[in-house]
Amino acid sequence: MTVLAWRLGLLVGFFAVWEAVAAPLNPLFYIRPSSLPGALLGMWRVPDLPPLGEHVWLTLQEIAGAYVLAVAAGLWLGFLLGLRRTVGRIYEPLLAALYAVPSVVWYPSLMLFFGLGSASKIAFGVLLGFFPIVLSVLAGIRQVPATLVTVAQSMGARPFTVFRKVMLPAMASTMVGGLRAGLALSVVGVLVSKNLGSRAGIGYVINYAYGLMMTREYAVLALLAAAAVLALDTAGALVEARVKRWAG
Amino acid sequence: MAGIQIERVTKRYGAVAAVRDLSLEINDREFVTLLGPSGCGKSTVLGMIAGLVRPDAGRVLVAGVPCVGPNPEQVALVFQDGGLFPWRTALDNVTFGLELRGVPAAKRREIALGLLEPMGLRGFERKYPRELSGGMRQLVAIARALALDTPILLMDEPFGALDEQTRLLMGEWLVGIRRRARKAVVFVTHSLQEAIALSDRIVVMTARPGRIKDVLDVTLPFPRDLNAPEVTELRAKLWEQVREESLKAMGTLS
Repeated sequence: MTVLAWRLGLLVGFFAVWEAVAAPLNPLFYIRPSSLPGALLGMWRVPDLPPLGEHVWLTLQEIAGAYVLAVAAGLWLGFLLGLRRTVGRIYEPLLAALYAVPSVVWYPSLMLFFGLGSASKIAFGVLLGFFPIVLSVLAGIRQVPATLVTVAQSMGARPFTVFRKVMLPAMASTMVGGLRAGLALSVVGVLVSKNLGSRAGIGYVINYAYGLMMTREYAVLALLAAAAVLALDTAGALVEARVKRWAG
Repeated sequence: MAGIQIERVTKRYGAVAAVRDLSLEINDREFVTLLGPSGCGKSTVLGMIAGLVRPDAGRVLVAGVPCVGPNPEQVALVFQDGGLFPWRTALDNVTFGLELRGVPAAKRREIALGLLEPMGLRGFERKYPRELSGGMRQLVAIARALALDTPILLMDEPFGALDEQTRLLMGEWLVGIRRRARKAVVFVTHSLQEAIALSDRIVVMTARPGRIKDVLDVTLPFPRDLNAPEVTELRAKLWEQVREESLKAMGTLS
Protein backbone atom coordinates (compact mmCIF):
# COMPACT_ATOMS: atom_id res chain seq x y z
CA MET A 1 0.00 0.00 0.00
CA THR A 2 2.79 2.43 0.93
CA VAL A 3 4.62 1.37 -2.22
CA LEU A 4 1.56 2.16 -4.32
CA ALA A 5 1.16 5.55 -2.62
CA TRP A 6 4.81 6.36 -3.30
CA ARG A 7 4.46 5.38 -6.94
CA LEU A 8 1.40 7.59 -7.38
CA GLY A 9 3.20 10.39 -5.58
CA LEU A 10 6.20 10.06 -7.90
CA LEU A 11 3.94 10.15 -10.96
CA VAL A 12 2.13 13.26 -9.72
CA GLY A 13 5.46 14.87 -8.81
CA PHE A 14 6.82 14.10 -12.26
CA PHE A 15 3.93 15.85 -13.99
CA ALA A 16 4.07 18.76 -11.52
CA VAL A 17 7.77 19.37 -12.19
CA TRP A 18 7.17 19.04 -15.90
CA GLU A 19 4.36 21.58 -15.71
CA ALA A 20 6.44 24.03 -13.70
CA VAL A 21 9.42 23.76 -16.03
CA ALA A 22 7.42 23.96 -19.25
CA ALA A 23 5.03 26.75 -18.25
CA PRO A 24 7.27 29.77 -19.01
CA LEU A 25 8.78 28.25 -22.18
CA ASN A 26 7.78 28.36 -25.84
CA PRO A 27 4.80 26.01 -26.28
CA LEU A 28 6.02 25.10 -29.76
CA PHE A 29 8.87 23.08 -28.22
CA TYR A 30 7.87 22.62 -24.59
CA ILE A 31 4.52 21.03 -23.88
CA ARG A 32 2.68 21.55 -20.61
CA PRO A 33 1.12 18.33 -19.38
CA SER A 34 -2.10 20.18 -18.49
CA SER A 35 -2.64 20.75 -22.20
CA LEU A 36 -2.41 17.06 -23.03
CA PRO A 37 -5.94 15.86 -22.15
CA GLY A 38 -7.38 18.55 -24.44
CA ALA A 39 -4.99 17.51 -27.17
CA LEU A 40 -5.95 13.87 -26.73
CA LEU A 41 -9.65 14.65 -27.12
CA GLY A 42 -9.01 16.88 -30.10
CA MET A 43 -6.60 14.43 -31.69
CA TRP A 44 -9.21 12.47 -33.60
CA ARG A 45 -10.36 15.65 -35.31
CA VAL A 46 -7.03 17.25 -36.25
CA PRO A 47 -7.33 17.48 -40.04
CA ASP A 48 -3.57 17.53 -40.62
CA LEU A 49 -2.99 14.15 -38.92
CA PRO A 50 -3.49 10.83 -40.67
CA PRO A 51 -6.59 8.94 -39.40
CA LEU A 52 -5.39 7.69 -36.03
CA GLY A 53 -7.70 4.70 -35.55
CA GLU A 54 -6.48 3.00 -38.70
CA HIS A 55 -2.85 3.45 -37.76
CA VAL A 56 -3.30 2.21 -34.21
CA TRP A 57 -5.14 -0.86 -35.49
CA LEU A 58 -2.40 -1.55 -38.05
CA THR A 59 0.30 -1.28 -35.37
CA LEU A 60 -1.59 -3.61 -33.04
CA GLN A 61 -1.87 -6.17 -35.82
CA GLU A 62 1.83 -5.89 -36.57
CA ILE A 63 2.74 -6.29 -32.90
CA ALA A 64 0.49 -9.34 -32.59
CA GLY A 65 1.98 -10.85 -35.75
CA ALA A 66 5.54 -10.15 -34.64
CA TYR A 67 4.98 -11.56 -31.16
CA VAL A 68 3.25 -14.73 -32.33
CA LEU A 69 6.13 -15.42 -34.72
CA ALA A 70 8.76 -14.56 -32.11
CA VAL A 71 7.12 -16.94 -29.61
CA ALA A 72 6.79 -19.73 -32.15
CA ALA A 73 10.38 -19.40 -33.38
CA GLY A 74 11.78 -18.87 -29.87
CA LEU A 75 10.04 -21.87 -28.30
CA TRP A 76 10.83 -24.11 -31.28
CA LEU A 77 14.52 -23.27 -31.41
CA GLY A 78 14.83 -23.17 -27.61
CA PHE A 79 13.46 -26.67 -27.16
CA LEU A 80 15.40 -27.98 -30.16
CA LEU A 81 18.71 -26.68 -28.80
CA GLY A 82 17.88 -27.41 -25.17
CA LEU A 83 16.65 -30.96 -25.54
CA ARG A 84 19.22 -32.11 -28.10
CA ARG A 85 22.39 -31.48 -26.21
CA THR A 86 24.76 -31.93 -29.15
CA VAL A 87 22.86 -29.51 -31.37
CA GLY A 88 22.69 -27.13 -28.44
CA ARG A 89 26.42 -27.26 -27.77
CA ILE A 90 27.07 -26.35 -31.41
CA TYR A 91 24.63 -23.47 -31.75
CA GLU A 92 24.26 -21.92 -28.30
CA PRO A 93 27.44 -19.81 -28.30
CA LEU A 94 26.47 -18.53 -31.75
CA LEU A 95 23.09 -17.47 -30.41
CA ALA A 96 24.60 -15.70 -27.41
CA ALA A 97 27.05 -13.87 -29.70
CA LEU A 98 24.24 -12.75 -32.01
CA TYR A 99 22.25 -11.52 -29.02
CA ALA A 100 25.14 -9.26 -28.05
CA VAL A 101 25.00 -7.43 -31.41
CA PRO A 102 22.77 -4.32 -31.22
CA SER A 103 19.75 -5.37 -33.27
CA VAL A 104 19.45 -2.00 -35.02
CA VAL A 105 22.35 -2.95 -37.27
CA TRP A 106 20.12 -5.58 -38.89
CA TYR A 107 17.35 -3.15 -39.67
CA PRO A 108 18.65 -1.96 -43.09
CA SER A 109 18.99 -5.52 -44.34
CA LEU A 110 15.49 -6.33 -43.11
CA MET A 111 14.20 -3.36 -45.10
CA LEU A 112 16.05 -4.64 -48.15
CA PHE A 113 14.58 -8.12 -47.74
CA PHE A 114 11.06 -7.17 -46.73
CA GLY A 115 10.52 -3.70 -48.18
CA LEU A 116 9.07 -0.66 -46.47
CA GLY A 117 5.69 -2.19 -45.61
CA SER A 118 4.46 -4.14 -42.60
CA ALA A 119 6.67 -7.12 -43.34
CA SER A 120 9.92 -5.44 -42.38
CA LYS A 121 8.42 -4.01 -39.16
CA ILE A 122 7.11 -7.43 -38.21
CA ALA A 123 10.47 -8.96 -39.02
CA PHE A 124 12.22 -6.46 -36.76
CA GLY A 125 9.70 -7.11 -33.98
CA VAL A 126 10.31 -10.85 -34.35
CA LEU A 127 14.07 -10.38 -34.29
CA LEU A 128 13.98 -8.36 -31.07
CA GLY A 129 11.36 -10.49 -29.33
CA PHE A 130 12.91 -13.81 -30.32
CA PHE A 131 16.17 -13.66 -28.34
CA PRO A 132 14.88 -13.35 -24.78
CA ILE A 133 12.39 -16.14 -25.48
CA VAL A 134 14.86 -18.65 -26.89
CA LEU A 135 17.44 -17.84 -24.20
CA SER A 136 14.86 -18.23 -21.42
CA VAL A 137 13.85 -21.63 -22.76
CA LEU A 138 17.49 -22.71 -22.77
CA ALA A 139 18.04 -21.37 -19.24
CA GLY A 140 14.79 -23.00 -18.11
CA ILE A 141 15.76 -26.42 -19.41
CA ARG A 142 19.09 -26.21 -17.61
CA GLN A 143 17.24 -25.41 -14.37
CA VAL A 144 15.11 -28.55 -14.36
CA PRO A 145 16.38 -30.54 -11.34
CA ALA A 146 17.60 -33.98 -12.48
CA THR A 147 16.23 -35.55 -9.28
CA LEU A 148 12.68 -34.54 -10.13
CA VAL A 149 12.99 -36.13 -13.57
CA THR A 150 14.22 -39.32 -11.88
CA VAL A 151 11.33 -39.18 -9.39
CA ALA A 152 8.83 -39.10 -12.26
CA GLN A 153 10.64 -41.85 -14.16
CA SER A 154 10.70 -44.06 -11.09
CA MET A 155 6.92 -43.77 -10.98
CA GLY A 156 6.65 -44.89 -14.58
CA ALA A 157 6.45 -41.56 -16.44
CA ARG A 158 7.28 -41.79 -20.16
CA PRO A 159 9.39 -39.08 -21.85
CA PHE A 160 6.44 -36.97 -22.97
CA THR A 161 4.85 -37.13 -19.52
CA VAL A 162 8.17 -36.11 -17.96
CA PHE A 163 8.26 -33.18 -20.35
CA ARG A 164 4.69 -32.10 -19.60
CA LYS A 165 4.51 -32.76 -15.87
CA VAL A 166 8.08 -32.06 -14.75
CA MET A 167 10.08 -30.04 -17.26
CA LEU A 168 7.41 -27.52 -18.26
CA PRO A 169 6.36 -26.68 -14.67
CA ALA A 170 9.98 -26.57 -13.48
CA MET A 171 10.95 -24.10 -16.19
CA ALA A 172 7.66 -22.19 -16.33
CA SER A 173 8.65 -19.15 -14.31
CA THR A 174 11.90 -18.62 -16.22
CA MET A 175 10.09 -19.11 -19.50
CA VAL A 176 7.27 -16.73 -18.62
CA GLY A 177 9.89 -14.12 -17.73
CA GLY A 178 11.42 -14.58 -21.19
CA LEU A 179 8.03 -14.43 -22.88
CA ARG A 180 7.30 -11.20 -21.04
CA ALA A 181 10.63 -9.61 -22.02
CA GLY A 182 10.03 -10.84 -25.59
CA LEU A 183 6.64 -9.12 -25.70
CA ALA A 184 8.10 -5.80 -24.60
CA LEU A 185 10.89 -6.09 -27.16
CA SER A 186 8.52 -7.10 -29.97
CA VAL A 187 6.52 -3.96 -29.28
CA VAL A 188 9.69 -1.89 -29.26
CA GLY A 189 10.82 -3.52 -32.51
CA VAL A 190 7.59 -2.72 -34.32
CA LEU A 191 7.40 0.84 -32.97
CA VAL A 192 11.05 1.68 -33.54
CA SER A 193 10.99 0.45 -37.10
CA LYS A 194 8.03 2.77 -37.65
CA ASN A 195 10.34 5.62 -36.88
CA LEU A 196 13.20 4.33 -38.97
CA GLY A 197 11.19 4.54 -42.15
CA SER A 198 7.59 3.72 -42.85
CA ARG A 199 4.34 5.05 -44.19
CA ALA A 200 1.77 3.69 -41.81
CA GLY A 201 1.16 2.82 -38.17
CA ILE A 202 1.39 4.58 -34.86
CA GLY A 203 5.15 5.12 -35.09
CA TYR A 204 4.63 6.79 -38.42
CA VAL A 205 1.98 9.10 -36.97
CA ILE A 206 4.32 9.97 -34.10
CA ASN A 207 7.03 10.86 -36.60
CA TYR A 208 4.57 12.77 -38.74
CA ALA A 209 3.37 14.90 -35.84
CA TYR A 210 6.96 15.51 -34.78
CA GLY A 211 7.91 16.50 -38.34
CA LEU A 212 5.09 19.03 -38.56
CA MET A 213 6.04 20.57 -35.21
CA MET A 214 2.72 19.41 -33.75
CA THR A 215 4.52 18.96 -30.49
CA ARG A 216 1.40 18.59 -28.39
CA GLU A 217 0.06 15.77 -30.53
CA TYR A 218 3.49 14.19 -30.63
CA ALA A 219 3.71 14.18 -26.83
CA VAL A 220 0.22 12.69 -26.47
CA LEU A 221 1.03 9.89 -28.92
CA ALA A 222 4.35 9.09 -27.31
CA LEU A 223 2.75 8.93 -23.86
CA LEU A 224 -0.05 6.74 -25.23
CA ALA A 225 2.44 4.33 -26.72
CA ALA A 226 4.32 4.23 -23.40
CA ALA A 227 1.09 3.60 -21.51
CA ALA A 228 0.17 0.75 -23.89
CA VAL A 229 3.55 -0.94 -23.41
CA LEU A 230 3.23 -0.50 -19.65
CA ALA A 231 -0.25 -2.05 -19.68
CA LEU A 232 1.00 -5.04 -21.69
CA ASP A 233 3.94 -5.51 -19.35
CA THR A 234 1.72 -5.29 -16.26
CA ALA A 235 -0.51 -7.98 -17.74
CA GLY A 236 2.66 -10.06 -18.29
CA ALA A 237 3.73 -9.49 -14.69
CA LEU A 238 0.36 -10.73 -13.43
CA VAL A 239 0.68 -13.92 -15.46
CA GLU A 240 4.23 -14.37 -14.15
CA ALA A 241 3.13 -13.93 -10.55
CA ARG A 242 0.40 -16.52 -11.04
CA VAL A 243 2.86 -19.03 -12.49
CA LYS A 244 5.29 -18.42 -9.62
CA ARG A 245 2.68 -18.76 -6.89
CA TRP A 246 4.35 -21.86 -5.47
CA ALA A 247 7.71 -20.13 -5.19
CA GLY A 248 6.28 -17.44 -2.92
CA MET B 1 9.02 -66.24 -6.21
CA ALA B 2 8.54 -63.09 -4.24
CA GLY B 3 10.83 -60.42 -2.81
CA ILE B 4 14.06 -59.24 -4.37
CA GLN B 5 17.01 -61.26 -5.65
CA ILE B 6 20.20 -59.38 -6.39
CA GLU B 7 22.55 -61.68 -8.29
CA ARG B 8 26.23 -60.79 -8.57
CA VAL B 9 25.73 -57.24 -9.75
CA THR B 10 28.56 -54.92 -10.71
CA LYS B 11 28.29 -51.24 -11.59
CA ARG B 12 31.04 -48.91 -12.74
CA TYR B 13 30.91 -45.17 -13.23
CA GLY B 14 33.79 -44.51 -15.56
CA ALA B 15 36.88 -45.97 -13.94
CA VAL B 16 35.26 -46.16 -10.51
CA ALA B 17 33.52 -49.37 -9.50
CA ALA B 18 30.60 -48.41 -7.25
CA VAL B 19 29.43 -51.97 -6.63
CA ARG B 20 31.31 -55.19 -7.36
CA ASP B 21 29.91 -58.69 -7.50
CA LEU B 22 27.22 -58.10 -4.90
CA SER B 23 24.51 -60.65 -4.16
CA LEU B 24 21.66 -60.25 -1.71
CA GLU B 25 18.24 -61.72 -1.23
CA ILE B 26 15.46 -59.76 0.41
CA ASN B 27 12.33 -61.59 1.44
CA ASP B 28 8.77 -60.49 1.23
CA ARG B 29 7.82 -58.19 4.13
CA GLU B 30 11.36 -57.96 5.37
CA PHE B 31 12.96 -54.72 6.55
CA VAL B 32 16.58 -54.68 5.39
CA THR B 33 18.96 -51.82 6.06
CA LEU B 34 22.05 -51.15 3.97
CA LEU B 35 24.69 -49.60 6.17
CA GLY B 36 28.10 -48.43 5.08
CA PRO B 37 30.46 -45.51 4.52
CA SER B 38 29.66 -42.69 2.10
CA GLY B 39 30.06 -43.60 -1.53
CA CYS B 40 29.97 -47.36 -0.91
CA GLY B 41 27.30 -47.91 -3.54
CA LYS B 42 24.25 -48.12 -1.24
CA SER B 43 22.24 -45.75 -3.42
CA THR B 44 23.42 -47.57 -6.54
CA VAL B 45 21.98 -50.81 -5.17
CA LEU B 46 18.66 -49.08 -4.51
CA GLY B 47 18.75 -47.59 -8.00
CA MET B 48 19.22 -51.04 -9.47
CA ILE B 49 16.24 -52.46 -7.57
CA ALA B 50 14.17 -49.46 -8.71
CA GLY B 51 15.20 -50.08 -12.31
CA LEU B 52 16.83 -46.66 -12.59
CA VAL B 53 20.40 -47.98 -12.75
CA ARG B 54 21.39 -50.76 -15.13
CA PRO B 55 24.01 -53.12 -13.70
CA ASP B 56 27.06 -53.70 -15.92
CA ALA B 57 27.01 -57.34 -14.92
CA GLY B 58 24.63 -59.56 -12.98
CA ARG B 59 20.91 -59.00 -12.60
CA VAL B 60 18.15 -58.02 -10.20
CA LEU B 61 14.89 -59.93 -9.94
CA VAL B 62 11.83 -58.26 -8.47
CA ALA B 63 8.98 -60.66 -7.68
CA GLY B 64 10.85 -63.19 -9.79
CA VAL B 65 11.01 -60.99 -12.91
CA PRO B 66 14.30 -59.52 -14.17
CA CYS B 67 14.39 -55.78 -13.70
CA VAL B 68 14.77 -53.84 -16.96
CA GLY B 69 13.30 -50.46 -16.05
CA PRO B 70 11.19 -48.65 -13.48
CA ASN B 71 8.46 -50.91 -12.17
CA PRO B 72 5.96 -48.70 -10.32
CA GLU B 73 3.55 -51.59 -9.78
CA GLN B 74 6.11 -53.37 -7.59
CA VAL B 75 8.59 -50.79 -6.34
CA ALA B 76 8.18 -47.32 -4.84
CA LEU B 77 11.11 -45.10 -3.94
CA VAL B 78 11.59 -42.37 -1.33
CA PHE B 79 14.39 -40.06 -2.38
CA GLN B 80 17.24 -38.75 -0.30
CA ASP B 81 16.13 -35.11 -0.19
CA GLY B 82 12.43 -35.88 -0.59
CA GLY B 83 12.37 -34.85 -4.22
CA LEU B 84 8.99 -33.17 -3.93
CA PHE B 85 7.72 -31.14 -6.87
CA PRO B 86 7.84 -27.55 -5.56
CA TRP B 87 5.03 -26.42 -7.85
CA ARG B 88 2.61 -29.03 -6.51
CA THR B 89 0.79 -28.85 -3.21
CA ALA B 90 1.34 -31.60 -0.63
CA LEU B 91 -1.82 -33.32 -1.87
CA ASP B 92 -0.86 -33.08 -5.54
CA ASN B 93 2.59 -34.43 -4.76
CA VAL B 94 1.07 -37.48 -3.10
CA THR B 95 -1.30 -38.07 -6.02
CA PHE B 96 1.40 -37.80 -8.71
CA GLY B 97 1.97 -41.52 -9.17
CA LEU B 98 -1.77 -42.20 -9.14
CA GLU B 99 -2.22 -39.56 -11.82
CA LEU B 100 0.27 -41.42 -14.00
CA ARG B 101 -1.72 -44.59 -13.44
CA GLY B 102 -4.90 -42.87 -14.57
CA VAL B 103 -6.72 -43.16 -11.24
CA PRO B 104 -9.78 -40.81 -11.26
CA ALA B 105 -9.34 -37.50 -9.41
CA ALA B 106 -11.83 -38.19 -6.59
CA LYS B 107 -10.22 -41.54 -5.83
CA ARG B 108 -6.73 -40.01 -5.92
CA ARG B 109 -7.76 -37.40 -3.39
CA GLU B 110 -9.32 -39.99 -1.12
CA ILE B 111 -6.18 -42.15 -1.13
CA ALA B 112 -3.87 -39.18 -0.54
CA LEU B 113 -5.92 -37.76 2.33
CA GLY B 114 -6.11 -41.25 3.83
CA LEU B 115 -2.30 -41.27 3.96
CA LEU B 116 -1.78 -37.66 5.07
CA GLU B 117 -4.36 -37.79 7.85
CA PRO B 118 -2.58 -40.30 10.14
CA MET B 119 0.68 -38.41 9.52
CA GLY B 120 -0.90 -35.39 11.17
CA LEU B 121 -0.83 -33.51 7.90
CA ARG B 122 -4.55 -32.94 7.62
CA GLY B 123 -4.99 -29.24 6.98
CA PHE B 124 -1.61 -29.00 5.28
CA GLU B 125 -2.66 -30.71 2.04
CA ARG B 126 -2.97 -27.41 0.17
CA LYS B 127 0.45 -26.15 1.26
CA TYR B 128 3.39 -26.05 -1.11
CA PRO B 129 6.59 -27.86 -0.06
CA ARG B 130 8.38 -24.62 0.85
CA GLU B 131 5.59 -23.88 3.34
CA LEU B 132 6.21 -27.16 5.19
CA SER B 133 8.91 -28.05 7.71
CA GLY B 134 11.66 -30.49 6.77
CA GLY B 135 9.99 -33.33 8.65
CA MET B 136 6.62 -32.63 7.04
CA ARG B 137 8.17 -32.59 3.59
CA GLN B 138 9.73 -35.95 4.23
CA LEU B 139 6.39 -37.34 5.39
CA VAL B 140 4.78 -36.09 2.19
CA ALA B 141 7.54 -37.79 0.18
CA ILE B 142 6.88 -41.04 2.05
CA ALA B 143 3.13 -40.67 1.51
CA ARG B 144 3.80 -40.21 -2.21
CA ALA B 145 5.64 -43.53 -2.29
CA LEU B 146 3.04 -45.29 -0.11
CA ALA B 147 0.24 -44.06 -2.41
CA LEU B 148 1.52 -46.43 -5.08
CA ASP B 149 0.70 -49.28 -2.68
CA THR B 150 3.60 -51.45 -3.85
CA PRO B 151 4.86 -54.58 -2.11
CA ILE B 152 8.36 -53.08 -2.05
CA LEU B 153 9.42 -49.72 -0.61
CA LEU B 154 12.93 -48.34 -1.11
CA MET B 155 14.13 -45.53 1.13
CA ASP B 156 17.37 -43.70 0.42
CA GLU B 157 18.45 -41.94 3.63
CA PRO B 158 14.92 -40.58 4.00
CA PHE B 159 15.64 -38.86 7.31
CA GLY B 160 19.20 -37.81 6.52
CA ALA B 161 18.47 -34.10 6.37
CA LEU B 162 16.47 -33.98 9.61
CA ASP B 163 17.59 -33.06 13.10
CA GLU B 164 18.19 -35.80 15.67
CA GLN B 165 14.84 -35.49 17.49
CA THR B 166 12.71 -35.42 14.34
CA ARG B 167 14.73 -38.34 13.07
CA LEU B 168 13.96 -40.48 16.09
CA LEU B 169 10.28 -39.58 15.96
CA MET B 170 10.11 -40.40 12.26
CA GLY B 171 11.79 -43.73 12.97
CA GLU B 172 9.18 -44.61 15.61
CA TRP B 173 6.46 -43.61 13.21
CA LEU B 174 7.96 -45.76 10.45
CA VAL B 175 8.03 -48.79 12.74
CA GLY B 176 4.30 -48.31 13.31
CA ILE B 177 3.54 -47.90 9.61
CA ARG B 178 5.48 -50.92 8.65
CA ARG B 179 3.80 -53.22 11.15
CA ARG B 180 0.49 -52.30 9.59
CA ALA B 181 1.52 -52.23 5.93
CA ARG B 182 3.75 -55.32 5.90
CA LYS B 183 5.90 -54.31 2.98
CA ALA B 184 9.42 -55.31 2.11
CA VAL B 185 11.51 -52.24 2.88
CA VAL B 186 15.08 -51.60 1.77
CA PHE B 187 16.44 -48.73 3.82
CA VAL B 188 19.72 -46.91 3.29
CA THR B 189 21.27 -45.00 6.19
CA HIS B 190 24.48 -43.89 7.89
CA SER B 191 22.86 -44.05 11.29
CA LEU B 192 23.55 -47.11 13.47
CA GLN B 193 20.73 -46.06 15.76
CA GLU B 194 18.24 -45.95 12.93
CA ALA B 195 19.42 -49.28 11.53
CA ILE B 196 19.02 -51.02 14.90
CA ALA B 197 15.66 -49.44 15.67
CA LEU B 198 14.05 -50.42 12.37
CA SER B 199 15.61 -53.48 10.76
CA ASP B 200 15.01 -57.20 10.61
CA ARG B 201 18.40 -57.50 8.99
CA ILE B 202 21.33 -55.13 8.71
CA VAL B 203 23.65 -55.46 5.73
CA VAL B 204 27.04 -53.85 6.34
CA MET B 205 28.71 -52.84 3.10
CA THR B 206 32.42 -52.40 2.43
CA ALA B 207 34.09 -49.22 1.22
CA ARG B 208 34.08 -48.73 -2.55
CA PRO B 209 33.69 -50.90 -4.53
CA GLY B 210 30.67 -51.89 -2.46
CA ARG B 211 30.40 -55.50 -1.41
CA ILE B 212 28.75 -57.17 1.53
CA LYS B 213 30.94 -57.27 4.61
CA ASP B 214 28.51 -58.79 7.04
CA VAL B 215 24.83 -59.48 7.56
CA LEU B 216 23.32 -59.21 11.05
CA ASP B 217 19.89 -60.43 12.03
CA VAL B 218 18.11 -58.26 14.56
CA THR B 219 15.55 -60.34 16.36
CA LEU B 220 14.59 -57.94 19.15
CA PRO B 221 10.83 -57.32 19.36
CA PHE B 222 9.24 -53.99 18.33
CA PRO B 223 9.03 -51.34 19.62
CA ARG B 224 12.70 -51.55 20.48
CA ASP B 225 14.22 -50.15 23.62
CA LEU B 226 17.37 -48.51 22.35
CA ASN B 227 18.94 -48.61 25.82
CA ALA B 228 18.62 -52.38 26.20
CA PRO B 229 21.94 -54.22 26.74
CA GLU B 230 21.50 -56.27 23.51
CA VAL B 231 21.18 -53.05 21.55
CA THR B 232 24.31 -51.62 23.11
CA GLU B 233 26.21 -54.77 22.24
CA LEU B 234 24.88 -54.79 18.68
CA ARG B 235 25.73 -51.13 18.22
CA ALA B 236 29.30 -51.72 19.37
CA LYS B 237 29.66 -54.61 16.94
CA LEU B 238 28.21 -52.62 14.06
CA TRP B 239 30.36 -49.61 14.87
CA GLU B 240 33.50 -51.69 14.77
CA GLN B 241 32.69 -52.90 11.26
CA VAL B 242 31.47 -49.57 9.93
CA ARG B 243 34.46 -47.80 11.46
CA GLU B 244 36.86 -50.09 9.67
CA GLU B 245 35.18 -49.47 6.31
CA SER B 246 34.81 -45.74 6.90
CA LEU B 247 38.55 -45.51 7.58
CA LYS B 248 39.23 -47.35 4.34
CA ALA B 249 36.89 -45.00 2.50
CA MET B 250 38.69 -42.00 3.97
CA GLY B 251 42.01 -43.58 3.05
CA THR B 252 41.01 -43.86 -0.58
CA LEU B 253 39.96 -40.23 -0.52
CA SER B 254 43.28 -38.89 0.77
